[in-house]
Amino acid sequence: MAEHATHDQHAEAHESHSTRFYWMIGAILAVITAVEVAIFLVKDTIGHELFLAILFILSIAKGAGVVMYFMHLRGDARIFQLVFIVPFLLAVTLCLGFLTIFSHHVGIAG
Amino acid sequence: MSATSHAHDEAGQAPLVGSLGVDSRKLGLWAFIGSETLFFTALITTHLIFYARTKADLAAKGMLEHMDPKLYLGIDLTTILAAILLASSLTMVLALAATKSKEWPKFRFWLLATIVLGSAFVLGQVYEFTHLYHEGLKLAPQYVYEGETVKSLFGVTFFVMTGFHGLHVTLGVVWLIAVYFKVRRFAASPENPMDVELVGLYWHFVDLVWVAIFTLVYLI
Repeated sequence: MAEHATHDQHAEAHESHSTRFYWMIGAILAVITAVEVAIFLVKDTIGHELFLAILFILSIAKGAGVVMYFMHLRGDARIFQLVFIVPFLLAVTLCLGFLTIFSHHVGIAG
Repeated sequence: MSATSHAHDEAGQAPLVGSLGVDSRKLGLWAFIGSETLFFTALITTHLIFYARTKADLAAKGMLEHMDPKLYLGIDLTTILAAILLASSLTMVLALAATKSKEWPKFRFWLLATIVLGSAFVLGQVYEFTHLYHEGLKLAPQYVYEGETVKSLFGVTFFVMTGFHGLHVTLGVVWLIAVYFKVRRFAASPENPMDVELVGLYWHFVDLVWVAIFTLVYLI
């Protein structure tokens, strides 16, 4: 128990980044947002599927950047990762499930 | 228990460390964020379902543009709002870094910047809502638009989803202001870094939700 607590407390004192690092992450996230908008503006020329694929990848990268580096979940105590990632995975599963069920006017949701 | 015995800070005060060996307030906030993730997923999913289900009906009536904010406003305003919230996340994490290094003038500057950016986001959203309302989008399942009855839950799901997000941002701004004055009044308090970290976690989560809404509602 004591060992467990020590481990988590050590993890809780997560790695401290320099302000320069945060500026760099902020700049990367800003570039990703700019690319998202640029992709949106040229979506008619690249096709809907490719547009969606690129957009989802960029959004996931942006969200992961915020969670891992701004919220410091990367390197933080495992219990924090658990109480966030489990509901998040459940939420994604539910979202995809409901979108699939309701994707047609005729079917389970008719 | 060792978890509490070695958890005393420099000022001799123990943080609220529970049996799991982590700060209970931080654990509680992460659990809250987990539940909020499910809450916003429900709102976003509902919006996407009703958007898809009513899109064909309105397109047949030649009224598709009626349910698409990006056609009213372009994505200019939303992009600016996304940039504002993203910038506020950066200033928030810089404020936290300044707190940990006890650089109080920097902390005040970055936290005030976060408050200003958060307030700008809320004002931008108020402008957007006002504009959309005057364009005819209503918080009602059925209404008359240009002499024709519209049956669509798009307005309801859109306003509820983005409205709840705006409410979260507003509450976040209030929390930021409270923390600003608390830290200013009790600069020597050992609780300050955790207070700033907690409001920071909440603020970044609000930004995270907007990342999802921006992509799923405005760009797709």
